[in-house]
Amino acid sequence: MRSNTLTGQALRQMYKAGAERLTQHVKKVDALNVFPVPDGDTGTNMNLTFTSGVTELEKSQEKTVEKISAIFSRGLLMGARGNSGVILSQLFRGFAKGLSGVSEADSYRLAEAFQQGVEMAYKAVMKPVEGTILTVAREAAAAARKAARSCSVEDVIETLVEAARQALANTPNQLPVLKEVGVVDSGGQGLVYIYEGFLSAVKADVTFDKPEMEAESVVAGGTSLFGEAHEEMHHVIDQTNIQYGYCTEFMVHLKPDTPFLQQEFQERIGSYGDSLLVVADDDLVKVHIHAEEPGDVLSFAHRYGALDRIKIENMRLQHEEVLRRQETKQIAQAQKPDDDLERVSASSEPKKASKLYAIISVASGKGIAKIFRSLGVQIIIEGGQTMNPSTEQFMHAIEEADAERVIILPNNKNIVMAAQQAADLAGVQVAVIPSTSIPQGMSSLLAFSADEQLETNRERMSEALGYVKTGLVTYAVRDTTLNEIVIKEGDFIGIFDSNIVVSGRDPYETALRLITEMVGEEDELITLIYGTDVKGEDMKELEKRLASLYDAYEVEVHDGGQSLYPFIIAVE
Amino acid sequence: MKLYIVTDSTADIPKELAAELDIHIVPLKVHIGDMTYLDGVTLSTGEFYEKLAQADKLPRTSQPSPADFVDVYESLAAREEDGEVISIHLSSALSGTYQTANLAKDMVREKINVHAIDSRTASYALGAIVVAVARAARVGNGLQYCLDLTQRLIANHKAFFVMDTLMYLQKGGRIGKASAVLGSLLNVKPILTFDEAGEVAAVEKVRGKKKAVGRIVDLINEYAAGEPVVASVVHATSHEEAEALKVRVAETLNITEDIVVTELGPVIGTYGGPGLLAVMLYKV
Repeated sequence: MRSNTLTGQALRQMYKAGAERLTQHVKKVDALNVFPVPDGDTGTNMNLTFTSGVTELEKSQEKTVEKISAIFSRGLLMGARGNSGVILSQLFRGFAKGLSGVSEADSYRLAEAFQQGVEMAYKAVMKPVEGTILTVAREAAAAARKAARSCSVEDVIETLVEAARQALANTPNQLPVLKEVGVVDSGGQGLVYIYEGFLSAVKADVTFDKPEMEAESVVAGGTSLFGEAHEEMHHVIDQTNIQYGYCTEFMVHLKPDTPFLQQEFQERIGSYGDSLLVVADDDLVKVHIHAEEPGDVLSFAHRYGALDRIKIENMRLQHEEVLRRQETKQIAQAQKPDDDLERVSASSEPKKASKLYAIISVASGKGIAKIFRSLGVQIIIEGGQTMNPSTEQFMHAIEEADAERVIILPNNKNIVMAAQQAADLAGVQVAVIPSTSIPQGMSSLLAFSADEQLETNRERMSEALGYVKTGLVTYAVRDTTLNEIVIKEGDFIGIFDSNIVVSGRDPYETALRLITEMVGEEDELITLIYGTDVKGEDMKELEKRLASLYDAYEVEVHDGGQSLYPFIIAVE
Repeated sequence: MKLYIVTDSTADIPKELAAELDIHIVPLKVHIGDMTYLDGVTLSTGEFYEKLAQADKLPRTSQPSPADFVDVYESLAAREEDGEVISIHLSSALSGTYQTANLAKDMVREKINVHAIDSRTASYALGAIVVAVARAARVGNGLQYCLDLTQRLIANHKAFFVMDTLMYLQKGGRIGKASAVLGSLLNVKPILTFDEAGEVAAVEKVRGKKKAVGRIVDLINEYAAGEPVVASVVHATSHEEAEALKVRVAETLNITEDIVVTELGPVIGTYGGPGLLAVMLYKV
């Protein structure tokens, strides 16, 4: 379907296909981590972010590229997790701005929209680094713009994908650490998957390397085609008069001895309803039909073999729900002066907050949460190493905090941007202190004073981040060599600020060696926060050794209850 | 005209020095169990900390009665015609002592002229100021000079202290603006000071006493800014730490006389508790 304009419906399909292709490769993107640590989650973050855009889209019936891209963008903005997720949300926010005012986009307009996305994303990053998702997005958009002068929409996207792949392949030449580890940039790879998904939606015969799916057969695994067709059908339903009330889906494991003629099967089962879709291979048939008597459909199909994965939904009830949701949304939108993304904050009406200050902190582990609470944190967002909270989670926390001034401690490098995005959207004053570790969060909290202005607190708390050194002990998930340190899968590694400095077979030894690397003459206090994997006996032994090795220092030990990281160490 | 200098027992002025400079000290009272002691008179600092360690209830303290002040003022009036008294006392934000001195001052008006002054500080921060004023009076400086000097030194003084525990301060109801730092699971040590109103206020929070003492040295140097100062180190049952701190302070400050090391007396000790360390100074 070569076409010179991109319709709203096609854009919907693009987003969905992009999400699907990314979903299929989440693990692969997660694995593209420079550090062999167990919490590589770029793929997970991007996928959750992008999927939240699709979810938002599914709640709407909009038809123009303007509206569809705006809704998608809002979904991304709220669902953004991790730095890669935030950048992604900004890319598609700019993309939506580029499509504003049009119901269908020509190739030129489309390419310009990609370019606007790039500009928006660059603005969101304080110090853009080349060799990342930003580079991939930029080079892809640049190529798309060149192609747009003479090409169709389909060609523009094909060029986009090609240029994105090339830019991705080049990332190790831009970021030396990628080359050292032998990977391409994870965020860039995620974006390439999304763009490839886009291409598959506008171009009929695209083939990629087969994704590693646990497909039991083409039919069962090929949810993509089936799912899209299904969605398409739901969009064309006459919403006011549903004749066949039940959306019925199921699979039939064909009896080996019974002949199956798809043509005949389709005609006969089609008499029970409409919106029929039948996909079959040698031994499995997948059926989608809207019927008034789903029981009859199932009885009929049962003659051909055993039924499986039956799903029946009442479309009349669903439809009412959709209408109700749309109505609420329309009312909400009518109350707003315009539909700008800046105004997504749920609590936009001014109301008096119940207190002056509230501090929100991200932390994982019961013990760590307790410590943070004791230092004056009101709201803990569970997360950090294993799960990066979304912009929306921060928005909810800010609302729940119910304070005039809110301070957020992300305590992880990969969470700072999502917190900042929420701060920008919030209706109250919010200061995000760019803390990148638990020790930094603790140090920062000590600098807080409720008697001071938010700006003063921001300054002091940010300055306090530099008063402490952070050490982490975790385990390696693959073999690698970094900074001339040979690491084997399963080894424990010690990370000092953001460098791997030691590795070893034993977590306690690794912790001791890491501390030796960290402690300097000017230091006075060593704090050890141990995780769930640490045993009481060994811990006591470690405490004893620390006390005798560092008798000139104060040593504090706390049960943090965190997973994945046996030790979090603060030296100050 | 003879000028007399009066203060109260919370100034922690060593007895010999007080005697030498003719400084008159009105004792506050300490109640431990059923017993009432006169601070520094019937209860020495050493005895107090021993009793504190054994007491199952925290001691209570009370200001001198108006009569206690009247007795001192009248005894001075009896010494010489038209004498003048400068009576410098513990921060009015922490105790009613200053207020009581004012009351007594009116009661003795016929006999002697008393100038009561709120130092807005305590312990040897107060003590050092009283000593400086007494010395100035001794070498013949007049009333107005000594009153001006008192105000100038109060305006140019600073005290930073750290406590092993805030429990005494809290239970004694003197925690003031430092209450925000209570309840932490980490070993958080607030660095405390007397603010302009003479109330206890937290300047900073740091973790561990070592860091706290280090920060006190930094802060006191920031305040002194290289100017000549008279400094002292005050401690509660921490002689060794105090001596070490004295050396650090002497190395970094521009001191004009030897650093006095003194122990926190029973009344303020009731709120500071054992382990307290402080550096106090005024700019000359």
